[in-house]
Amino acid sequence: MILRPITAILARELVRTLRQRGRLLSALVRPLLWLMVIGGGVETMMPAGGSSYRSFMAPGLLAMTLLFGAMLAALSLVHDRESGVLRMLLIAPIHHAWIVLARIASATAVALMQGILLLLMLAAAGYARASWDFALLAFALIMTAWAAACLGMLVAVIVRGLENYAMIMNVVIFPVFFLSGALYPLHGLPSYLRLASSINPFSYGVDLLKHATPGTIAGASTAAGAATDFSLATDIAVLGGFIVGATLIACWRFCQDGTITGLLRPPHRARAAG
Amino acid sequence: MGAAGGATGAMIEATGLGKRYGSTVAVAGLDLAIEAGSCVALVGANGSGKSTTLQMLSTLLPPSAGTARIAGCDLVRDPVGVRAAIGMVFQETALDRTLTVGDNLRFAGALYDLPADQVARRSQELLALFELEGRRATPVAALSGGMRRAVDIARGMLHQPSVLLLDEPTTGLDLGNRRSVWRHLERARREQRTTLLLATHLLDEAADCDLVIFMQGGQVIGQGRPLELIAALGAWVLELAGSPLATAPFAHLGEHRRDGARLSIMLRDAAFSLASLDQAALARLDTVTLRRPMLEDVYQRQFGGTSPA
Repeated sequence: MILRPITAILARELVRTLRQRGRLLSALVRPLLWLMVIGGGVETMMPAGGSSYRSFMAPGLLAMTLLFGAMLAALSLVHDRESGVLRMLLIAPIHHAWIVLARIASATAVALMQGILLLLMLAAAGYARASWDFALLAFALIMTAWAAACLGMLVAVIVRGLENYAMIMNVVIFPVFFLSGALYPLHGLPSYLRLASSINPFSYGVDLLKHATPGTIAGASTAAGAATDFSLATDIAVLGGFIVGATLIACWRFCQDGTITGLLRPPHRARAAG
Repeated sequence: MGAAGGATGAMIEATGLGKRYGSTVAVAGLDLAIEAGSCVALVGANGSGKSTTLQMLSTLLPPSAGTARIAGCDLVRDPVGVRAAIGMVFQETALDRTLTVGDNLRFAGALYDLPADQVARRSQELLALFELEGRRATPVAALSGGMRRAVDIARGMLHQPSVLLLDEPTTGLDLGNRRSVWRHLERARREQRTTLLLATHLLDEAADCDLVIFMQGGQVIGQGRPLELIAALGAWVLELAGSPLATAPFAHLGEHRRDGARLSIMLRDAAFSLASLDQAALARLDTVTLRRPMLEDVYQRQFGGTSPA
Protein backbone atom coordinates (compact mmCIF):
# COMPACT_ATOMS: atom_id res chain seq x y z
CA MET A 1 0.00 0.00 0.00
CA ILE A 2 2.77 2.42 0.91
CA LEU A 3 5.47 1.21 -1.48
CA ARG A 4 3.89 2.47 -4.71
CA PRO A 5 3.27 6.05 -3.48
CA ILE A 6 6.79 6.25 -2.02
CA THR A 7 8.30 4.94 -5.25
CA ALA A 8 6.21 7.43 -7.22
CA ILE A 9 7.48 10.39 -5.16
CA LEU A 10 11.05 9.15 -5.59
CA ALA A 11 10.65 8.53 -9.32
CA ARG A 12 9.09 11.94 -9.89
CA GLU A 13 12.12 13.70 -8.41
CA LEU A 14 14.53 11.61 -10.48
CA VAL A 15 12.55 12.22 -13.68
CA ARG A 16 12.48 15.95 -12.95
CA THR A 17 16.24 15.98 -12.34
CA LEU A 18 17.00 14.09 -15.54
CA ARG A 19 14.72 16.38 -17.54
CA GLN A 20 16.26 19.54 -16.08
CA ARG A 21 19.58 19.03 -17.84
CA GLY A 22 20.73 22.56 -16.96
CA ARG A 23 20.40 21.74 -13.27
CA LEU A 24 22.40 18.54 -13.71
CA LEU A 25 25.05 20.27 -15.78
CA SER A 26 25.48 23.16 -13.34
CA ALA A 27 25.78 20.64 -10.49
CA LEU A 28 28.85 19.23 -12.25
CA VAL A 29 30.27 22.49 -13.55
CA ARG A 30 30.36 24.09 -10.08
CA PRO A 31 32.85 21.62 -8.50
CA LEU A 32 34.94 21.47 -11.64
CA LEU A 33 35.21 25.26 -11.62
CA TRP A 34 36.34 25.12 -8.00
CA LEU A 35 38.83 22.40 -8.84
CA MET A 36 40.36 24.18 -11.80
CA VAL A 37 40.10 27.83 -10.76
CA ILE A 38 40.36 27.85 -6.96
CA GLY A 39 42.45 24.68 -6.80
CA GLY A 40 44.79 25.88 -9.54
CA GLY A 41 45.06 29.33 -7.96
CA VAL A 42 45.82 28.08 -4.46
CA GLU A 43 48.43 25.65 -5.77
CA THR A 44 50.45 28.57 -7.16
CA MET A 45 50.94 29.74 -3.55
CA MET A 46 52.13 26.35 -2.36
CA PRO A 47 55.81 25.41 -2.39
CA ALA A 48 56.94 23.58 -5.50
CA GLY A 49 57.06 19.82 -5.08
CA GLY A 50 54.72 19.98 -2.06
CA SER A 51 51.15 18.80 -1.65
CA SER A 52 48.62 18.83 -4.44
CA TYR A 53 45.79 21.05 -3.23
CA ARG A 54 43.59 19.85 -6.07
CA SER A 55 43.97 16.26 -4.90
CA PHE A 56 43.11 17.39 -1.38
CA MET A 57 39.97 19.11 -2.74
CA ALA A 58 38.64 15.96 -4.45
CA PRO A 59 36.68 14.58 -1.43
CA GLY A 60 35.62 18.12 -0.52
CA LEU A 61 34.22 18.70 -3.98
CA LEU A 62 32.38 15.41 -3.84
CA ALA A 63 30.92 16.64 -0.57
CA MET A 64 30.03 19.98 -2.19
CA THR A 65 28.14 18.22 -4.98
CA LEU A 66 26.27 16.07 -2.48
CA LEU A 67 25.43 19.09 -0.30
CA PHE A 68 24.15 21.31 -3.09
CA GLY A 69 22.41 18.45 -4.91
CA ALA A 70 20.61 17.16 -1.84
CA MET A 71 19.76 20.57 -0.40
CA LEU A 72 18.31 21.86 -3.67
CA ALA A 73 16.35 18.64 -4.25
CA ALA A 74 14.95 18.80 -0.71
CA LEU A 75 14.14 22.47 -1.10
CA SER A 76 12.01 21.65 -4.15
CA LEU A 77 9.38 20.89 -1.51
CA VAL A 78 9.08 24.67 -1.12
CA HIS A 79 8.57 24.98 -4.87
CA ASP A 80 5.93 22.25 -4.73
CA ARG A 81 4.16 24.19 -2.01
CA GLU A 82 4.18 27.37 -4.07
CA SER A 83 3.07 25.69 -7.29
CA GLY A 84 0.29 23.77 -5.55
CA VAL A 85 1.68 20.29 -6.31
CA LEU A 86 2.13 19.61 -2.61
CA ARG A 87 -1.65 19.50 -2.22
CA MET A 88 -1.71 16.46 -4.52
CA LEU A 89 0.62 14.76 -2.05
CA LEU A 90 -1.21 15.98 1.04
CA ILE A 91 -4.54 14.47 -0.03
CA ALA A 92 -2.99 11.11 -0.93
CA PRO A 93 -4.06 8.33 1.44
CA ILE A 94 -0.72 8.05 3.22
CA HIS A 95 0.50 9.44 6.51
CA HIS A 96 2.15 12.81 5.89
CA ALA A 97 5.39 11.61 7.51
CA TRP A 98 5.83 9.30 4.51
CA ILE A 99 5.99 12.37 2.27
CA VAL A 100 8.97 13.66 4.27
CA LEU A 101 10.67 10.26 4.23
CA ALA A 102 10.13 9.86 0.49
CA ARG A 103 11.41 13.35 -0.20
CA ILE A 104 14.53 12.71 1.90
CA ALA A 105 15.08 9.48 -0.06
CA SER A 106 14.61 11.24 -3.39
CA ALA A 107 16.92 14.12 -2.44
CA THR A 108 19.53 11.57 -1.34
CA ALA A 109 19.17 9.69 -4.63
CA VAL A 110 19.48 12.89 -6.70
CA ALA A 111 22.60 13.95 -4.79
CA LEU A 112 24.13 10.49 -5.14
CA MET A 113 23.48 10.53 -8.87
CA GLN A 114 25.34 13.85 -9.15
CA GLY A 115 28.10 12.69 -6.80
CA ILE A 116 28.72 9.51 -8.80
CA LEU A 117 28.87 11.49 -12.06
CA LEU A 118 31.46 13.82 -10.50
CA LEU A 119 33.42 10.88 -9.14
CA LEU A 120 33.63 9.43 -12.66
CA MET A 121 34.82 12.79 -13.98
CA LEU A 122 37.43 13.08 -11.21
CA ALA A 123 38.62 9.57 -12.01
CA ALA A 124 38.86 10.43 -15.70
CA ALA A 125 40.89 13.54 -14.81
CA GLY A 126 43.29 11.48 -12.71
CA TYR A 127 42.21 12.67 -9.27
CA ALA A 128 40.98 9.25 -8.07
CA ARG A 129 43.63 6.88 -6.76
CA ALA A 130 43.93 3.14 -6.50
CA SER A 131 44.57 3.60 -2.76
CA TRP A 132 41.01 4.82 -2.20
CA ASP A 133 38.73 2.53 -0.22
CA PHE A 134 35.83 2.37 -2.67
CA ALA A 135 33.52 0.38 -0.37
CA LEU A 136 34.00 3.00 2.36
CA LEU A 137 33.66 5.73 -0.27
CA ALA A 138 30.27 4.33 -1.37
CA PHE A 139 29.15 4.27 2.27
CA ALA A 140 30.51 7.80 2.84
CA LEU A 141 28.73 9.12 -0.25
CA ILE A 142 25.42 7.63 0.90
CA MET A 143 25.75 8.89 4.50
CA THR A 144 26.84 12.38 3.44
CA ALA A 145 24.10 12.72 0.81
CA TRP A 146 21.55 11.42 3.29
CA ALA A 147 22.63 13.89 5.96
CA ALA A 148 22.54 16.77 3.46
CA ALA A 149 19.05 15.71 2.34
CA CYS A 150 17.89 15.70 5.99
CA LEU A 151 19.37 19.16 6.49
CA GLY A 152 17.61 20.35 3.32
CA MET A 153 14.33 18.87 4.49
CA LEU A 154 14.66 20.56 7.88
CA VAL A 155 15.04 23.89 6.08
CA ALA A 156 12.24 23.10 3.62
CA VAL A 157 9.65 22.43 6.34
CA ILE A 158 10.56 25.66 8.10
CA VAL A 159 10.85 28.26 5.32
CA ARG A 160 7.67 29.61 3.82
CA GLY A 161 8.63 30.72 0.33
CA LEU A 162 11.25 30.74 -2.38
CA GLU A 163 11.88 34.42 -1.75
CA ASN A 164 14.01 33.12 1.12
CA TYR A 165 16.17 31.18 -1.33
CA ALA A 166 19.09 33.64 -1.34
CA MET A 167 18.94 33.74 2.44
CA ILE A 168 19.07 29.94 2.59
CA MET A 169 22.14 29.93 0.34
CA ASN A 170 23.92 32.54 2.44
CA VAL A 171 22.80 31.49 5.90
CA VAL A 172 22.70 27.71 5.56
CA ILE A 173 24.38 26.21 2.51
CA PHE A 174 27.53 28.34 2.27
CA PRO A 175 28.38 28.34 6.01
CA VAL A 176 27.75 24.60 6.20
CA PHE A 177 30.07 24.07 3.24
CA PHE A 178 32.82 26.50 4.24
CA LEU A 179 32.89 25.19 7.83
CA SER A 180 33.00 21.55 6.81
CA GLY A 181 36.69 21.12 6.09
CA ALA A 182 35.97 20.56 2.41
CA LEU A 183 38.48 23.23 1.40
CA TYR A 184 41.06 23.01 4.23
CA PRO A 185 41.83 20.76 7.19
CA LEU A 186 39.95 21.77 10.33
CA HIS A 187 42.78 21.11 12.79
CA GLY A 188 44.63 24.27 11.72
CA LEU A 189 41.67 26.61 12.17
CA PRO A 190 41.32 29.14 15.03
CA SER A 191 39.49 27.65 18.01
CA TYR A 192 36.17 29.47 17.40
CA LEU A 193 36.05 28.21 13.80
CA ARG A 194 37.03 24.74 14.94
CA LEU A 195 34.16 24.83 17.41
CA ALA A 196 31.73 25.95 14.72
CA SER A 197 33.01 23.20 12.44
CA SER A 198 32.63 20.57 15.11
CA ILE A 199 28.92 21.36 15.55
CA ASN A 200 28.39 21.32 11.79
CA PRO A 201 27.12 17.81 10.97
CA PHE A 202 28.36 18.12 7.42
CA SER A 203 31.98 18.29 8.69
CA TYR A 204 31.63 14.64 9.63
CA GLY A 205 30.43 13.76 6.13
CA VAL A 206 33.43 15.49 4.58
CA ASP A 207 35.68 13.76 7.07
CA LEU A 208 34.15 10.38 6.27
CA LEU A 209 34.86 11.01 2.59
CA LYS A 210 38.48 11.87 3.51
CA HIS A 211 38.76 8.58 5.39
CA ALA A 212 37.72 6.81 2.21
CA THR A 213 40.17 8.73 0.01
CA PRO A 214 43.57 8.41 1.71
CA GLY A 215 46.73 9.91 0.29
CA THR A 216 45.15 13.04 -1.09
CA ILE A 217 47.80 15.26 0.49
CA ALA A 218 51.32 14.01 0.21
CA GLY A 219 53.11 14.13 3.52
CA ALA A 220 50.01 15.04 5.49
CA SER A 221 48.39 11.67 5.68
CA THR A 222 47.51 9.88 8.84
CA ALA A 223 47.27 6.18 9.30
CA ALA A 224 43.60 6.36 8.36
CA GLY A 225 43.90 8.74 5.46
CA ALA A 226 44.63 12.27 4.40
CA ALA A 227 44.14 15.10 6.83
CA THR A 228 41.16 13.61 8.62
CA ASP A 229 39.89 15.53 11.65
CA PHE A 230 37.76 12.95 13.46
CA SER A 231 37.81 9.21 13.91
CA LEU A 232 35.80 7.02 11.56
CA ALA A 233 33.53 5.94 14.43
CA THR A 234 32.84 9.58 15.38
CA ASP A 235 31.94 10.45 11.79
CA ILE A 236 29.50 7.55 11.50
CA ALA A 237 27.96 8.15 14.94
CA VAL A 238 27.42 11.89 14.39
CA LEU A 239 26.06 11.49 10.87
CA GLY A 240 23.76 8.66 11.98
CA GLY A 241 22.54 10.67 14.95
CA PHE A 242 21.95 13.73 12.81
CA ILE A 243 20.04 11.74 10.18
CA VAL A 244 17.74 10.21 12.80
CA GLY A 245 17.26 13.49 14.70
CA ALA A 246 16.71 15.67 11.64
CA THR A 247 14.29 13.16 10.11
CA LEU A 248 12.21 13.03 13.29
CA ILE A 249 12.12 16.83 13.60
CA ALA A 250 11.26 17.30 9.91
CA CYS A 251 8.45 14.71 10.11
CA TRP A 252 7.08 16.25 13.29
CA ARG A 253 7.24 19.76 11.90
CA PHE A 254 5.66 18.77 8.57
CA CYS A 255 2.84 16.91 10.26
CA GLN A 256 2.09 19.75 12.64
CA ASP A 257 -1.28 21.33 11.98
CA GLY A 258 0.19 24.79 11.63
CA THR A 259 2.80 23.65 9.17
CA ILE A 260 0.27 21.90 6.99
CA THR A 261 -1.81 25.04 7.03
CA GLY A 262 1.24 27.00 5.99
CA LEU A 263 2.11 24.48 3.32
CA LEU A 264 -1.37 24.68 1.97
CA ARG A 265 -1.68 28.40 1.79
CA PRO A 266 1.62 30.18 1.35
CA PRO A 267 1.19 33.71 2.75
CA HIS A 268 2.06 35.60 -0.43
CA ARG A 269 -0.44 33.57 -2.41
CA ALA A 270 -3.12 33.37 0.21
CA ARG A 271 -6.32 34.98 -0.81
CA ALA A 272 -9.79 35.03 0.59
CA ALA A 273 -11.00 31.46 0.69
CA GLY A 274 -14.47 31.19 -0.73
CA MET B 1 -13.11 2.61 -3.82
CA GLY B 2 -15.83 1.49 -1.49
CA ALA B 3 -18.91 3.55 -0.74
CA ALA B 4 -19.43 2.76 2.92
CA GLY B 5 -21.48 5.37 4.70
CA GLY B 6 -21.35 6.58 8.27
CA ALA B 7 -23.37 5.51 11.28
CA THR B 8 -26.42 7.43 10.06
CA GLY B 9 -26.04 6.15 6.51
CA ALA B 10 -24.78 9.51 5.33
CA MET B 11 -21.62 9.58 3.23
CA ILE B 12 -20.60 12.96 4.64
CA GLU B 13 -21.62 13.85 8.18
CA ALA B 14 -20.54 16.93 10.09
CA THR B 15 -21.65 18.19 13.46
CA GLY B 16 -20.72 21.66 14.63
CA LEU B 17 -17.72 21.71 12.32
CA GLY B 18 -15.79 24.94 12.69
CA LYS B 19 -12.52 26.60 11.81
CA ARG B 20 -11.07 29.59 13.56
CA TYR B 21 -7.87 31.55 12.88
CA GLY B 22 -7.19 33.46 16.06
CA SER B 23 -10.20 35.70 16.50
CA THR B 24 -11.35 35.22 12.88
CA VAL B 25 -14.08 32.65 12.39
CA ALA B 26 -13.78 31.05 8.95
CA VAL B 27 -16.48 28.41 9.47
CA ALA B 28 -18.85 28.16 12.42
CA GLY B 29 -21.00 25.25 13.57
CA LEU B 30 -21.51 23.54 10.23
CA ASP B 31 -23.89 20.57 10.25
CA LEU B 32 -24.05 18.31 7.23
CA ALA B 33 -25.68 14.98 6.41
CA ILE B 34 -25.12 14.13 2.77
CA GLU B 35 -26.38 10.84 1.37
CA ALA B 36 -24.29 8.66 -0.92
CA GLY B 37 -24.75 9.54 -4.56
CA SER B 38 -26.14 12.99 -3.96
CA CYS B 39 -24.84 16.29 -5.24
CA VAL B 40 -24.63 19.24 -2.86
CA ALA B 41 -23.47 22.77 -3.67
CA LEU B 42 -21.99 25.24 -1.21
CA VAL B 43 -22.81 28.69 -2.52
CA GLY B 44 -21.55 31.99 -1.19
CA ALA B 45 -19.33 34.95 -1.88
CA ASN B 46 -15.54 34.98 -1.36
CA GLY B 47 -14.72 34.53 2.31
CA SER B 48 -18.00 32.78 3.08
CA GLY B 49 -16.23 29.59 4.21
CA LYS B 50 -16.90 27.29 1.25
CA SER B 51 -13.27 26.48 0.44
CA THR B 52 -12.35 26.22 4.12
CA THR B 53 -15.15 23.67 4.55
CA LEU B 54 -13.82 21.59 1.66
CA GLN B 55 -10.28 21.83 2.98
CA MET B 56 -11.40 20.59 6.39
CA LEU B 57 -13.35 17.73 4.83
CA SER B 58 -10.30 16.77 2.77
CA THR B 59 -8.17 16.71 5.98
CA LEU B 60 -5.95 19.53 4.72
CA LEU B 61 -7.11 21.84 7.48
CA PRO B 62 -7.68 20.55 10.99
CA PRO B 63 -11.05 21.68 12.35
CA SER B 64 -11.06 23.91 15.41
CA ALA B 65 -14.41 22.57 16.56
CA GLY B 66 -16.92 19.83 15.88
CA THR B 67 -16.61 16.44 14.26
CA ALA B 68 -17.02 15.03 10.77
CA ARG B 69 -17.00 11.64 9.11
CA ILE B 70 -16.59 10.75 5.49
CA ALA B 71 -17.44 7.24 4.31
CA GLY B 72 -17.53 6.26 7.98
CA CYS B 73 -14.00 7.54 8.70
CA ASP B 74 -13.47 10.22 11.31
CA LEU B 75 -11.75 13.32 9.96
CA VAL B 76 -9.35 13.65 12.87
CA ARG B 77 -8.90 10.04 14.03
CA ASP B 78 -8.62 8.44 10.59
CA PRO B 79 -7.43 11.06 8.09
CA VAL B 80 -5.80 8.43 5.87
CA GLY B 81 -9.13 6.57 5.64
CA VAL B 82 -10.88 9.83 4.72
CA ARG B 83 -8.27 10.61 2.08
CA ALA B 84 -8.65 7.13 0.59
CA ALA B 85 -12.37 7.77 0.13
CA ILE B 86 -12.19 11.21 -1.39
CA GLY B 87 -11.02 12.89 -4.54
CA MET B 88 -10.38 16.60 -4.52
CA VAL B 89 -10.30 19.15 -7.28
CA PHE B 90 -8.74 22.35 -6.00
CA GLN B 91 -9.53 25.93 -6.91
CA GLU B 92 -5.99 26.26 -8.31
CA THR B 93 -4.13 23.58 -10.19
CA ALA B 94 -2.31 20.86 -8.26
CA LEU B 95 -0.51 19.51 -11.32
CA ASP B 96 3.26 19.42 -11.75
CA ARG B 97 3.90 21.77 -14.65
CA THR B 98 7.31 20.30 -15.36
CA LEU B 99 5.82 16.87 -16.09
CA THR B 100 3.63 15.74 -18.97
CA VAL B 101 -0.09 15.11 -18.70
CA GLY B 102 0.55 11.34 -18.71
CA ASP B 103 3.27 11.62 -16.04
CA ASN B 104 0.96 13.64 -13.80
CA LEU B 105 -1.85 11.10 -14.07
CA ARG B 106 0.57 8.20 -13.49
CA PHE B 107 1.94 10.01 -10.43
CA ALA B 108 -1.55 10.72 -9.08
CA GLY B 109 -2.59 7.10 -9.66
CA ALA B 110 0.49 5.75 -7.90
CA LEU B 111 -0.25 7.97 -4.88
CA TYR B 112 -3.54 6.05 -4.60
CA ASP B 113 -1.71 2.74 -5.03
CA LEU B 114 -3.43 2.03 -8.35
CA PRO B 115 -1.73 -0.58 -10.55
CA ALA B 116 -0.18 0.85 -13.73
CA ASP B 117 -2.64 -0.87 -16.08
CA GLN B 118 -5.60 0.54 -14.15
CA VAL B 119 -4.08 4.03 -14.27
CA ALA B 120 -3.51 3.68 -18.02
CA ARG B 121 -7.11 2.59 -18.61
CA ARG B 122 -8.62 5.34 -16.45
CA SER B 123 -6.31 7.98 -17.94
CA GLN B 124 -7.35 6.93 -21.43
CA GLU B 125 -11.01 7.13 -20.46
CA LEU B 126 -10.73 10.52 -18.78
CA LEU B 127 -8.50 12.11 -21.41
CA ALA B 128 -10.97 10.95 -24.07
CA LEU B 129 -13.77 12.54 -22.08
CA PHE B 130 -12.02 15.91 -22.22
CA GLU B 131 -10.79 15.36 -25.79
CA LEU B 132 -7.18 15.45 -24.59
CA GLU B 133 -6.03 12.01 -25.85
CA GLY B 134 -3.43 13.66 -28.08
CA ARG B 135 -2.00 15.64 -25.17
CA ARG B 136 -0.75 12.74 -23.07
CA ALA B 137 2.91 13.55 -23.82
CA THR B 138 2.45 17.35 -23.60
CA PRO B 139 4.03 19.09 -20.60
CA VAL B 140 1.34 20.60 -18.40
CA ALA B 141 3.08 23.99 -18.71
CA ALA B 142 2.27 23.98 -22.42
CA LEU B 143 -1.49 23.48 -21.93
CA SER B 144 -4.08 26.25 -21.98
CA GLY B 145 -5.75 27.16 -18.69
CA GLY B 146 -8.91 25.27 -19.64
CA MET B 147 -7.01 22.13 -20.64
CA ARG B 148 -5.02 22.25 -17.42
CA ARG B 149 -8.27 22.48 -15.49
CA ALA B 150 -9.64 19.47 -17.34
CA VAL B 151 -6.52 17.43 -16.51
CA ASP B 152 -6.85 18.55 -12.90
CA ILE B 153 -10.41 17.23 -12.81
CA ALA B 154 -9.26 14.00 -14.46
CA ARG B 155 -6.63 13.69 -11.72
CA GLY B 156 -9.27 14.10 -9.01
CA MET B 157 -11.51 11.44 -10.59
CA LEU B 158 -8.76 8.99 -11.55
CA HIS B 159 -9.15 6.67 -8.56
CA GLN B 160 -12.96 6.67 -8.70
CA PRO B 161 -13.46 8.11 -5.22
CA SER B 162 -16.65 7.61 -3.22
CA VAL B 163 -16.74 11.32 -2.48
CA LEU B 164 -15.59 14.04 -4.82
CA LEU B 165 -14.89 17.45 -3.32
CA LEU B 166 -14.85 20.13 -5.99
CA ASP B 167 -13.69 23.67 -5.33
CA GLU B 168 -14.90 25.84 -8.22
CA PRO B 169 -14.46 22.84 -10.55
CA THR B 170 -15.32 24.36 -13.89
CA THR B 171 -13.72 27.77 -13.50
CA GLY B 172 -11.72 28.47 -16.64
CA LEU B 173 -13.39 25.78 -18.73
CA ASP B 174 -15.22 26.58 -21.94
CA LEU B 175 -18.88 25.67 -22.26
CA GLY B 176 -18.14 22.41 -24.10
CA ASN B 177 -15.73 21.21 -21.43
CA ARG B 178 -18.05 22.32 -18.64
CA ARG B 179 -20.77 20.14 -20.14
CA SER B 180 -18.33 17.22 -20.51
CA VAL B 181 -17.32 17.52 -16.87
CA TRP B 182 -20.90 17.51 -15.69
CA ARG B 183 -21.87 14.66 -18.00
CA HIS B 184 -19.08 12.59 -16.48
CA LEU B 185 -19.89 13.64 -12.93
CA GLU B 186 -23.52 12.69 -13.51
CA ARG B 187 -22.43 9.33 -14.88
CA ALA B 188 -20.21 8.77 -11.84
CA ARG B 189 -23.14 9.57 -9.57
CA ARG B 190 -25.47 7.29 -11.47
CA GLU B 191 -23.15 4.31 -11.94
CA GLN B 192 -20.89 4.47 -8.87
CA ARG B 193 -23.05 6.50 -6.48
CA THR B 194 -20.24 9.04 -6.18
CA THR B 195 -21.15 11.77 -3.73
CA LEU B 196 -20.41 15.27 -4.99
CA LEU B 197 -19.83 18.28 -2.76
CA LEU B 198 -18.90 21.40 -4.63
CA ALA B 199 -18.16 24.98 -3.80
CA THR B 200 -19.27 27.18 -6.63
CA HIS B 201 -20.04 30.67 -7.75
CA LEU B 202 -21.98 29.40 -10.73
CA LEU B 203 -25.63 29.30 -9.78
CA ASP B 204 -26.66 27.41 -12.91
CA GLU B 205 -24.38 24.56 -11.75
CA ALA B 206 -25.77 24.74 -8.23
CA ALA B 207 -29.33 24.64 -9.63
CA ASP B 208 -28.70 21.13 -10.97
CA CYS B 209 -27.66 19.82 -7.53
CA ASP B 210 -29.91 17.96 -5.08
CA LEU B 211 -29.25 20.45 -2.31
CA VAL B 212 -27.94 24.00 -2.18
CA ILE B 213 -26.37 25.36 0.99
CA PHE B 214 -25.97 29.11 1.19
CA MET B 215 -23.03 30.31 3.28
CA GLN B 216 -22.12 33.74 4.56
CA GLY B 217 -19.43 34.72 7.04
CA GLY B 218 -18.65 31.06 7.71
CA GLN B 219 -22.24 30.19 8.57
CA VAL B 220 -25.03 28.41 6.79
CA ILE B 221 -27.77 30.94 6.28
CA GLY B 222 -30.13 28.83 4.25
CA GLN B 223 -30.45 25.58 2.38
CA GLY B 224 -32.89 23.56 0.38
CA ARG B 225 -33.63 21.73 -2.82
CA PRO B 226 -33.16 24.17 -5.72
CA LEU B 227 -36.57 23.50 -7.28
CA GLU B 228 -38.35 23.96 -3.96
CA LEU B 229 -36.42 27.15 -3.19
CA ILE B 230 -37.24 28.51 -6.64
CA ALA B 231 -40.92 27.49 -6.41
CA ALA B 232 -41.22 29.30 -3.07
CA LEU B 233 -40.48 32.58 -4.82
CA GLY B 234 -43.73 32.47 -6.81
CA ALA B 235 -44.67 31.80 -10.42
CA TRP B 236 -43.12 34.81 -12.11
CA VAL B 237 -40.49 37.50 -11.72
CA LEU B 238 -41.17 40.89 -13.22
CA GLU B 239 -38.02 42.83 -14.06
CA LEU B 240 -38.27 46.51 -14.73
CA ALA B 241 -35.46 48.81 -15.82
CA GLY B 242 -35.53 52.51 -16.37
CA SER B 243 -34.02 55.78 -15.34
CA PRO B 244 -35.50 57.26 -13.32
CA LEU B 245 -37.22 54.20 -11.91
CA ALA B 246 -40.01 54.69 -9.40
CA THR B 247 -40.66 51.76 -7.04
CA ALA B 248 -43.96 52.92 -5.58
CA PRO B 249 -46.32 52.10 -8.50
CA PHE B 250 -45.12 48.45 -8.47
CA ALA B 251 -44.38 47.74 -4.82
CA HIS B 252 -47.82 46.22 -4.15
CA LEU B 253 -47.21 43.43 -6.68
CA GLY B 254 -44.99 41.43 -4.36
CA GLU B 255 -41.64 41.21 -2.67
CA HIS B 256 -39.27 43.42 -4.61
CA ARG B 257 -35.58 44.14 -4.73
CA ARG B 258 -33.91 47.19 -6.17
CA ASP B 259 -30.48 46.93 -7.81
CA GLY B 260 -29.53 50.32 -9.25
CA ALA B 261 -31.79 51.07 -12.18
CA ARG B 262 -33.33 47.59 -12.09
CA LEU B 263 -36.29 46.45 -10.03
CA SER B 264 -37.13 42.75 -9.62
CA ILE B 265 -40.53 41.80 -8.26
CA MET B 266 -41.56 38.30 -7.17
CA LEU B 267 -45.14 38.27 -8.32
CA ARG B 268 -47.64 36.97 -5.81
CA ASP B 269 -50.39 36.61 -8.39
CA ALA B 270 -49.78 33.74 -10.81
CA ALA B 271 -52.43 35.18 -13.14
CA PHE B 272 -50.67 38.51 -13.32
CA SER B 273 -51.24 40.68 -16.39
CA LEU B 274 -49.27 43.72 -17.54
CA ALA B 275 -52.60 45.40 -18.26
CA SER B 276 -53.23 45.63 -14.53
CA LEU B 277 -50.24 47.97 -14.04
CA ASP B 278 -50.13 51.75 -13.92
CA GLN B 279 -49.73 52.36 -17.66
CA ALA B 280 -48.20 55.81 -17.22
CA ALA B 281 -45.47 54.43 -14.92
CA LEU B 282 -44.98 51.52 -17.31
CA ALA B 283 -44.51 53.87 -20.25
CA ARG B 284 -41.56 55.55 -18.51
CA LEU B 285 -39.58 52.27 -18.32
CA ASP B 286 -36.85 51.19 -20.75
CA THR B 287 -37.42 47.44 -20.45
CA VAL B 288 -40.07 45.18 -18.94
CA THR B 289 -39.28 41.46 -18.62
CA LEU B 290 -41.49 38.71 -17.32
CA ARG B 291 -39.66 35.48 -16.58
CA ARG B 292 -39.68 32.39 -14.40
CA PRO B 293 -37.75 32.60 -11.09
CA MET B 294 -34.21 31.18 -11.01
CA LEU B 295 -31.75 30.16 -8.31
CA GLU B 296 -30.10 33.55 -8.76
CA ASP B 297 -33.31 35.13 -7.42
CA VAL B 298 -33.11 32.83 -4.39
CA TYR B 299 -29.48 33.82 -3.87
CA GLN B 300 -30.24 37.52 -4.17
CA ARG B 301 -33.13 37.15 -1.78
CA GLN B 302 -30.83 35.42 0.73
CA PHE B 303 -27.90 37.79 0.42
CA GLY B 304 -29.21 40.93 -1.25
CA GLY B 305 -27.08 42.48 -4.02
CA THR B 306 -25.90 40.58 -7.04
CA SER B 307 -25.07 36.93 -7.67
CA PRO B 308 -21.70 35.58 -6.46
CA ALA B 309 -20.30 35.07 -9.97
